[in-house]
Amino acid sequence: MTPNPFAGDNTRTQRREAAARWMLRIGSYLVVVLTVAIFLFITIKGLPHAVKPGFLTELTSTLHVIETKTGEFIQTGPAEADTIKKQLGEAFVGEKTISYSGGGILGPIVGTALLVLVSVSVALFLGVCCAIYLSEYAKKGKFLEMVRLAILNLAGVPSVVFGLFGLGAFVLTAPVLTDAPADRAVFVIPLGFTNLSFQGWDTCVLSGGFTLAFVILPVIITASEQCLQAVPQGFRETSMALGATRWQTIWRSVLPFATPGILTSTILGIARAAGETAPIMFTAALAFKDKLPWQKDLPPLPADAGMLAQWEQSVQRFLGIFTESVQALPYHIYTLAAKIPQNEYSEQAQYGSVFVFLVLVASLAASSIWLRVHLRKKYKW
Amino acid sequence: MSSSTSTTPGSLGSKLLRKGRDSVLGMDPQKIIKNFFGANSGITIVVLVLIMVFLLREGAGFLGTYHQELEVYRKAGLEFCDIADTPLKEQQLLTSALRRAKTTTDAALKTALTDAEDAFDTAIEPAAEILLELKTHATETKELATEHHTLEAGRQQLLEAAAGTSDAKHKADLLKEAELSKVDAPDYAERIATMLERRGELSQALTDYTTALETAAATLPEAVSDVKKAVPAHVATIRKATENLQKWSWEEPVSYFTAVRSFLFGSAWITNSSWHDIYGVVPLLVGSLLISLVALLLATPISISAAIYTNQFATDREKEIIKPVIEFIQAIPSVVLGFIGIAVVGDLIKGISQWELLSWVPGFPIQERLNIFNAGFLLAFMAVPTMFSLAEDALNNVPRAYAEASDALGATKLQTVFRVIVPAALSGILSAILLGLGRVVGETMVVLLVAGNRIAIPDFGDGVGVIFQPAHTLTGIIAQELGEVSRGSSHWQALFMVGILLFLISLAVNGCARAIAKRFEHSKA
Repeated sequence: MTPNPFAGDNTRTQRREAAARWMLRIGSYLVVVLTVAIFLFITIKGLPHAVKPGFLTELTSTLHVIETKTGEFIQTGPAEADTIKKQLGEAFVGEKTISYSGGGILGPIVGTALLVLVSVSVALFLGVCCAIYLSEYAKKGKFLEMVRLAILNLAGVPSVVFGLFGLGAFVLTAPVLTDAPADRAVFVIPLGFTNLSFQGWDTCVLSGGFTLAFVILPVIITASEQCLQAVPQGFRETSMALGATRWQTIWRSVLPFATPGILTSTILGIARAAGETAPIMFTAALAFKDKLPWQKDLPPLPADAGMLAQWEQSVQRFLGIFTESVQALPYHIYTLAAKIPQNEYSEQAQYGSVFVFLVLVASLAASSIWLRVHLRKKYKW
Repeated sequence: MSSSTSTTPGSLGSKLLRKGRDSVLGMDPQKIIKNFFGANSGITIVVLVLIMVFLLREGAGFLGTYHQELEVYRKAGLEFCDIADTPLKEQQLLTSALRRAKTTTDAALKTALTDAEDAFDTAIEPAAEILLELKTHATETKELATEHHTLEAGRQQLLEAAAGTSDAKHKADLLKEAELSKVDAPDYAERIATMLERRGELSQALTDYTTALETAAATLPEAVSDVKKAVPAHVATIRKATENLQKWSWEEPVSYFTAVRSFLFGSAWITNSSWHDIYGVVPLLVGSLLISLVALLLATPISISAAIYTNQFATDREKEIIKPVIEFIQAIPSVVLGFIGIAVVGDLIKGISQWELLSWVPGFPIQERLNIFNAGFLLAFMAVPTMFSLAEDALNNVPRAYAEASDALGATKLQTVFRVIVPAALSGILSAILLGLGRVVGETMVVLLVAGNRIAIPDFGDGVGVIFQPAHTLTGIIAQELGEVSRGSSHWQALFMVGILLFLISLAVNGCARAIAKRFEHSKA
């Protein structure tokens, strides 16, 4: 039989090549396998808990586990625990309580949504404006260099340092309008009808949202700038040649084409903001809260209160959403992981929350990747 | 594009293009718009400066507060007690070693050990008693000093308020109140004198202890040779302590340099103690560095080989799998990884370490589920996407001509990759590794949950096994303790100082990474 003339000779060099190639391949696939394994593990452990009725729609509460004489364990909330104990009577053996592990995770989900809303609004405004300057206006010089340096360094600042910054800047020093300035105010500017007092916003959604905004600012700036740069130079030149001003050019023929890309990067920013824990630890998050942000206690209105008073209270209620601390998913998971022992009863809350959180963040990231690919096909110029 | 282009008069374009028309504050609308955007990008600089400002505002007072605390520590005689306490602590270690050895079944040995332990304990008793009395005395002095300081601060505030007010009556009230809250500083000289009176007694007791110890040690059974060997060193410690006791003077001033030194090079971080709070960052720094090192050693080979593979060898379909999956890791929140570390990885590592097969690994079987290795492993996982994508970019940026030239010379694919492409991208890869390091050092939640949170310098006696010990980190300590301290206390300030340290470290790592990357750009051009 004639040997195949195209078959490679099985020399040592070739074997070594193959071996090296396989080593590299194993390295890459190790990461892939690990990631998939983590995702599958969380899904298998968490999915059954997350689909239980009420897990996504109830507030967090303490879990009561009541042991009966027959060796049964009844899991219930604090409200029903007493009734069940009474019903059991003699059959009641013992009771265990596990904090934060009962009910659902509506509070943390709402809190995370509020924090993300505030942070993304702030970061998007600042980030897009900065990106427009960098891509459309900036000329080489000291200022541009400093801005670039600042963005790079801002991206490298540890998130816990952002937390310290947020605590110092927003919780303790940010300006508020108040008639009665607090003692701890750094300084007070009298405005006549009221005072502008630099006494901070306390731990609340606003403080946390602003802190998170600066955490994701570099991400949004870099991504937005890339999107703006990707708009072909010809679009600008055409617009200018037709006699449009620079601003008209940006508004009419650059931004519309960059917007889809900017929104994509925003989704990535949302995922990032939702996932951060350290910055909100001292600026916004609470371990436990039994009310939603808008269920705030307000003094009851007198029966003959007019429309104006009603309206005022509604506004107050709405603003109250942003001036109160909230539960947040990442901080909730931290509390469950660090403060609650690992056992079969805490498993529901732990794996359920982790699964919901991971799916939330992952779907945001995935949709941003999908959009990027999709839009790239659509906007081909 | 100049604005002097002639356009048909009256059109909208001409209005917006002409300079000098519709100007506000001497600027035409175009300029205002430009400056608006410029100001917005200036915010990034402002924020960076503000971070430093706020960190410094809360943390800068630390030096003063800590310096004062150290001064009280010395003046109240706490330091004196601590000098005498060192040999006592060492004695406790020795006796506990004896106690551990007592688990033997040999009855004769057991009696001998019990006798030795008793002898050790009786010998130290007089010294311990004196020290206890001194300690109580010193604590009292310290409390007086603290009280004085608090009242004095309150008085200063009242005086300030009095100076600021214009209402005469209010002013008089404030001044009166300030006068009332005036308390004299404790008479350190007198209080310390009572302590120093007993210095001779204490030294004598320690010397007696040394003699008794040496006698007892001579009869120690051979089975506890490690205790026997430790005795001479112990005796030396006692001698040294006695000498230091004689030399010690409460009047010696504490310099600010001491405060800085004990913060940066102090080997203990003890807070909320009724005795004396110590803020030394070395244990935290060592913890942070060890965890980063483990993470770096695990992440670098894997992410770089993944980058080389995807960039050079992978088929398009493989790329479509590997790239998104690795990018996806970036989206996994760190707190989720921390939870996985507690719930899964800890048990996994502990289980594996108990295999007979692996007993040769240093540090196995491990004691703690939560340790440096566990945290490092998870951080490595977090660092992979950063390193991977940056390293891949660097490989991508290598000019095609290099590879083509190498191919033309008859090099195999492997030779081209490892001899030409990787060396050409080396500085890019290095900066990718450094940026990965920056990410690892600054990570908080994983280390807070998984590193074990023991504030002590890990025992390097285990060799490489040191990575299976628990540790605490710079980031973790801030996240853990800041929620519980009162604002403005020395502890609060110390945590902000740690924040400043972290900020500086991250700036330095970033700076290095950029410097390396920049050199690469030049060499290409």
